[in-house]
Amino acid sequence: MMKPRYAVIDLTTGQVTNYPISEEMVAMYLGGKALAARILYDELKPGTDPLSPDNILIINTGPMNGTGAPSSSRFNLSTRNVLTGGIASSNCGGTFGVKMRKAGYDGVIIKGKAAQPSYIEIIDGEIAIRDASHLWGLNTEETQHRFDNRYGMLVIGPAGENLVKYACAVSGERVAGRCGVGAVMGSKNLKALVAYGTQEIPVHDRQGFKRYIKEWVDFLRSHQSTGQDLGLYGTSGFLNKCNASGILPTHNFKEGSWDKADMLSGQHLAENYLTRNSGCISCPIRCERRVMVEGKEVKGPEFETVGLLGSNIENSDLGLINLWNYHIDLLGMDTISLGGTLAFAMELQEKGIKDFGLKFGETGNIMDAIYKIAYREGDWGELADGTKTLSERYGGKDFAIHSKGLELASYDPRKAVGMGLGYATSNRGACHLNGGYTAILEAIGAVPVDPITTKGKPELTVFLQNTLEAVSTAGFCLFTAMTMISGFAFKLKPSGKIVGLMGGCMLSARFLLRGIWNKLPGAMPFNSKYFLPHVEAVNLVTGLKMTSGNFLQIGERCYNLERLFNMREGLTGKDDDLPARLTGIPSDPQNPDTVVKVKEMLPLYYRTRGWDKEGVPTEEKLKQLGLTR
Amino acid sequence: MAHTITEKCNGCGLCAKLCPVSAITGEVKSMHRINVKRCVDCGVCGKACSEGAVLNARGQEVVRIPRQQWPKPVISREACSACAICVDVCGKHALAISLPLRPGDLRVYAYLKDEKACVGCAMCAKQCPMEAITMEIAGGEEVPA
Repeated sequence: MMKPRYAVIDLTTGQVTNYPISEEMVAMYLGGKALAARILYDELKPGTDPLSPDNILIINTGPMNGTGAPSSSRFNLSTRNVLTGGIASSNCGGTFGVKMRKAGYDGVIIKGKAAQPSYIEIIDGEIAIRDASHLWGLNTEETQHRFDNRYGMLVIGPAGENLVKYACAVSGERVAGRCGVGAVMGSKNLKALVAYGTQEIPVHDRQGFKRYIKEWVDFLRSHQSTGQDLGLYGTSGFLNKCNASGILPTHNFKEGSWDKADMLSGQHLAENYLTRNSGCISCPIRCERRVMVEGKEVKGPEFETVGLLGSNIENSDLGLINLWNYHIDLLGMDTISLGGTLAFAMELQEKGIKDFGLKFGETGNIMDAIYKIAYREGDWGELADGTKTLSERYGGKDFAIHSKGLELASYDPRKAVGMGLGYATSNRGACHLNGGYTAILEAIGAVPVDPITTKGKPELTVFLQNTLEAVSTAGFCLFTAMTMISGFAFKLKPSGKIVGLMGGCMLSARFLLRGIWNKLPGAMPFNSKYFLPHVEAVNLVTGLKMTSGNFLQIGERCYNLERLFNMREGLTGKDDDLPARLTGIPSDPQNPDTVVKVKEMLPLYYRTRGWDKEGVPTEEKLKQLGLTR
Repeated sequence: MAHTITEKCNGCGLCAKLCPVSAITGEVKSMHRINVKRCVDCGVCGKACSEGAVLNARGQEVVRIPRQQWPKPVISREACSACAICVDVCGKHALAISLPLRPGDLRVYAYLKDEKACVGCAMCAKQCPMEAITMEIAGGEEVPA
């Protein structure tokens, strides 16, 4: 196995040193967010202010990046979370990760703060810190146009420079959106990283791997979800289903559906705005939307953006969302946190608590507000601090829709309660993906899992959280895991008995999952293309001999390590919670069960994870995962 | 492994202009150099050199070939998954993903958009995970990538 090459770049001193990664570390953490969590845990002093020079920003890849495996251009940014104070991991499908590997580095660990605006150049195995005075102030598109267009780039916009707490980093048109990683770059005076090189990406068994991925790509292309639906309608193809299931956030998560939702759907976008679909490099799924904005073709919005800048602020103009989405990317902000914060400000106005001049259903001043937030100008500049800070400043905690400080993605969890548990326990704050994306099964997918019952949800959530964690760690897009739901199910009648039975089986699997996770580490001694095709691909690339059980255990290990990181920063089981609106007020007034019963589900969730009653990983669990010292 | 330039070089700069990875530098009318870390051994520099000044990785002189006989990528529409790895890796921006024929058409594929820009380096063919690309010279003869 080739050992990954990591460098420590100290922006204060300008020094670049190597950071050794052992083979054992690769076997335990693979790469991406898991390996980054390990490094952060080892290197970051607890209590470090996220926006101080002492914070560490890790930008790294997994073993699959650049190998040609399907949907494998995802790279990771990890640091101390600006919004939550816990761990931040933000994932991006741009080309920077692949290009960084081709330039000879698998990851960089950035410390300190540059004296003046700077960018990092990683070219042919050499790292240099260069002056970026001429780039400071430029938007993310202008900044990238200043470099050779063959380079992989990762840049921030004005929002990152101005330390907007949910500033993102942009690579091409893809975004590492969440957790304020752009603000961390800005706090270090780091405007950009660029990478280029032609080094070969190591693959252990090249012939076997080529054969394997051809089969895998064919499988993805033949699957209803990854071969059809995501290509046709993108992620906003979920919108109509979410609306019908009652999980489309409306009016700052007051309601779960909206009568004008149809105007926002992926189908509506395809019929009225879509020029074509596209995708991250290496991806055969191609869920990216291309739309015309201001006379040019740009990236269209994702479902989460449409929900939070659409129904959640009662805007039914999809054209406006396309436009805002483009400008928010130019400025470099997370559309999820921004949308959530706007809705919160609107409700503050509605309740007469604080008038920011923003009202539900009024879209005329939103563009202006977006720019003012990015530049932290005037009253609207305050919104750059996010929902949690605003609620601490003005009140309204009951309807401040965040967990641990990170705003919820566009899935109202009251009619997808497993998703609610996922949001509450997710290590980086209320993220649907880090939370396990249980909503896919409860409200969106072809196999309907009872969305209201709490039965089986803790076990399912743990399983899915670990799965997505492992898939992400290798460098894959999470959508490659969509094929876990058999393509067969998509061909059946959606409300039919067979799919109902399949959904029921998933919940019944709780006994199995509970047993496997607590008592049989390294269970699932098999690999299957139909279950997790990723495992064999990782084996062929790294030379490891993992089973599906081993692979999922990497996800579990990462989840526990991130938990330890959060605990060290002062987060506790009490932070595994959601705002009162979601735990106390039923989404459907006729059905008192349409709330997220976090307190009811947590004990079993903790037990399934092998944590104690306070949510602290037990010594036994840590030993099992090799996390004790 | 890398190609090298010998003292026969007259500094015309053609190789530097053609190199798909910008590995060659040098002043006009003086000897050019190849960055060994960057070179991908595609041999385009040697095929273009009128002076026979380029040696391949084995130290053999690369034979000059008229440009119309340089191979071009031929892409199988059936095998291509439109993953765009080739589009990204092409230093000459010669490749693109085709436009859908009608709304909702998912059957798109990579194609040689700018034939003149292509230098026949075969990086696209080497990196295609679906092995959908073959390098062929005019007339249809396949050349190993």
